[in-house]
Amino acid sequence: MWDLYKAEVLRLHRWALAAFVVHVGVLGFLARMVDPLQQPTRVYEVVAALYGLAGLLLGLHQMSGYRRVNTWINLLHRPLAPTRIAIALHGAVATLLIAAIAVPLVLIIAAQAGLSARVVDARHAWLPLAAWLVAMCGHLAGAYTMLAPRRWSPFVLVLPAWLAMSMAVGGGAIVVQAIVLAWLGLLVAAAFKPDLDAAPRSTLQEIATALPVQMAVYLLLVMSSLLYQLGWMVLGSHPLNGTPPAGGFVEASRASPIERMQTGLAGSTHPDAALWREQVAISDVHTLSVQIEAYPIRGELTNLAPMEFDDEQRRVRWTFSHDSMRYEGVALTTRAAAGTLDDGATATAFPAPPLVLANDALVSAHALRAFDDRTGGIAVRLALAEDEALAGLPKVIGESTLVLSDRALHFYATRAWRGAAAPPLERSRLAVPGPIGELADVDVVELLDGHLVSFLFGRGSIDGPGETWQDIWRLGDDGRAERIARRELTADFPSWLRHLRWWLSPTLDTLRQAAIMLFAEPSPTQMRAPVERPAGIIALAVALLAGALALGFAMVRHSVLSLAQRVGWLLACAGIGMPALIALALIHRDSLRTTIAPASRPLA
Amino acid sequence: MTASRMAIHPAPADVVPDDDVVIETIALTRRYAGTLALDALDLRIPRGGIHAIVGANGAGKSTLFRILLGFLPPSSGCARILGRDSQMLTPGDRGRIGFVNEEHTLPGWMCVAAVTAMQRRLYAGWHAPTFDEVIGHYQVRAAQRIAELSRGERAGLNLALALAQSPQLLVLDEPTLGLDVVAKRAFLESLLHSSAVERCTVIYCSHQMDEIERVADNLIILERGQLKNMSAPDDFRARVSHWIADIPFKGPAADGVPGLLQVQRIDGLHHYLVLDQDEGFAAFLRAAGARSVQRMPVSLDRAVNGFLAKNHATPAAT
Repeated sequence: MWDLYKAEVLRLHRWALAAFVVHVGVLGFLARMVDPLQQPTRVYEVVAALYGLAGLLLGLHQMSGYRRVNTWINLLHRPLAPTRIAIALHGAVATLLIAAIAVPLVLIIAAQAGLSARVVDARHAWLPLAAWLVAMCGHLAGAYTMLAPRRWSPFVLVLPAWLAMSMAVGGGAIVVQAIVLAWLGLLVAAAFKPDLDAAPRSTLQEIATALPVQMAVYLLLVMSSLLYQLGWMVLGSHPLNGTPPAGGFVEASRASPIERMQTGLAGSTHPDAALWREQVAISDVHTLSVQIEAYPIRGELTNLAPMEFDDEQRRVRWTFSHDSMRYEGVALTTRAAAGTLDDGATATAFPAPPLVLANDALVSAHALRAFDDRTGGIAVRLALAEDEALAGLPKVIGESTLVLSDRALHFYATRAWRGAAAPPLERSRLAVPGPIGELADVDVVELLDGHLVSFLFGRGSIDGPGETWQDIWRLGDDGRAERIARRELTADFPSWLRHLRWWLSPTLDTLRQAAIMLFAEPSPTQMRAPVERPAGIIALAVALLAGALALGFAMVRHSVLSLAQRVGWLLACAGIGMPALIALALIHRDSLRTTIAPASRPLA
Repeated sequence: MTASRMAIHPAPADVVPDDDVVIETIALTRRYAGTLALDALDLRIPRGGIHAIVGANGAGKSTLFRILLGFLPPSSGCARILGRDSQMLTPGDRGRIGFVNEEHTLPGWMCVAAVTAMQRRLYAGWHAPTFDEVIGHYQVRAAQRIAELSRGERAGLNLALALAQSPQLLVLDEPTLGLDVVAKRAFLESLLHSSAVERCTVIYCSHQMDEIERVADNLIILERGQLKNMSAPDDFRARVSHWIADIPFKGPAADGVPGLLQVQRIDGLHHYLVLDQDEGFAAFLRAAGARSVQRMPVSLDRAVNGFLAKNHATPAAT
């Protein structure tokens, strides 16, 4: 095994050396131009995709050299277990990827830590490992795609795709990457057998193969609905690609704030509704929406946005450190260290990493802070309760300054807000009458004795499940709130399409969401209400599960699959539905075509 | 059962491995999308000697080797190699079976010494004198990279590596394909003069009848996935006879000629290649109007080719 390992290292070492040189060069160049550790998520996603793609191509290339029949026989026909041969070959690639991917990152991070005043946190030390894991996942996915039967092997690419979809951060992200790597390793070990066209042999291999294949089939079926939508667009009646249906969410969300408010008031039975409609027509209607989808989490490997801002007066760039939980300064002129900034008057570390939206908007879930140009310090501008999270930045509407949180719309006096040393006192609040994750727009009109506020709900519900409605409230200056109108909006997409992800396979829909959120905390500003399924949709899902079970039984009853395999697949058909049935046909095509002689049929 | 569905009949459980048989197949069948590559093949190859397997393209030779080495499952029937079910070979079993294919696939980026050292450590029964003996037929330097070797040198190195493993069974699948005359001769010389060959059973697959004639103790002919002959090459050659008859008019109808393999009319004379015919065939030709009949010796090449061409479409004799 050791000899094979060395031979494979020898085979690929020139490529690895070239990749190392190019990688170090590119990272070094970027480090001269920008701070590579202070880039937004999108940049890290692109770079990670490049690492994964490089690994994928390497896996395809490496195994394409061995896939040919005679070469494969020559490789495996030796007194060495196939698994040990696989470990030797992929261990060699793992070593080379350490050299080509991880070592350059270690060098750049170490150089930045040792030779510059830029912030380098302990979390950044995990980046080389994460990059290597992503590249290895790509490599093993490529190797498996090349080795396993083409009928299903490309479907396991859903496993590396999981990395892109996962919401886990920090150590959680590393664990997810390690899980995907272990899973792909198991698959590659299963594929490393003399007969490449054979189906998985052990129960563990079968489950490890079947699950991603079923998930990929499921996702492809979900995506096939795009063809339906394409035809809809061609016909010119697609809600998002033409004139939206009357009374629907798309029409409401595209209407001007004045039209939206007036339409909502039209259904009100309040005696002042007509008056307010006239007033709305001649007033300024201001709109707020959810601006903050997620908050930085201490220890996360990447940044939602660069965690830095510039003090133009003093020519200092302040960068937040997850280690010290303070801002650390670098002089823009000399690039020397320029001290630290702590949390305002308390002179303590920040309780949570802030999201830097501007110099005067350092946002964490429960507080808004701002850098003061005059004092050169950071002060708290707004503090919310511990169980409440900011959903947007303050918006000035005449005499009032409004702040949207995940629970309420807060009203402050604009005069009190401006120039205040301490957070202003809240004048009044209006509870958000629905889940913040579904809130699309908040329209506000200033009245003589209060405000009219319209809440439009339906975000994420156009082609998905969820209710859509408009609520209009009046908030008096005395703080009293009353709902004066509720307009139920019609769904723009048919029900079967909005619930497609669920009725195709309720189990896989749940599993998909669980996989995305594994080791991740949902953002408070994305919380949604539990979905209620129409009876017809539930019936459709049950019918599909029953149909998959019946078809599955017809397929396996005369096959040469073992009893345990047949029972397992029938359970999968009953619990997962059509994706399981299709996966069965793909993975066991040959076994399903082959029948057992009647005398030896154990299940008929 | 539809035509596209196959039925598996469990392999006989009472088959007892025979130590004197290195390869045994029982009703071995392999089907590719409706094409029968092996058709209920029953084959028993005894231990020792060099056994040549010949057959036209598509006769099922490569399929047979792949099944025997466990790289392809049978559609039905069973195959044993060195007493083990071919689908259950262990790494230890593989250490006892050498395999050389026509591509001589060796890692081109490695040098000869590194490849040799790797094999030496891998095979417990490595026999260095055998390696030196075989490789001595070639001008191969230890420091040379495999990619720098000629095809003939690679074939020689491959053979040396396979023999030095001290295999109990050595499978050579068209090892001289693509070699020039000199390289081919060197390969055969190194094979025949190696003392290692005496200690193992060799399965030699080739289309080159001159090679078969030279090396084989036993001739196995496969045709369309079925065993057609298994005997010493000379015995097979003796079964095929070549008759030249001077028949002034049209000869007897082809389907009426007993044991006919091939018929040609050259310079007015009818040439018949027939199987399992004695002097009675001369009487048959005379009865068909032949003025003179002459029996000619047949080379193994002609005999095998005539045998294999029997069921192939050929232009009708005129």
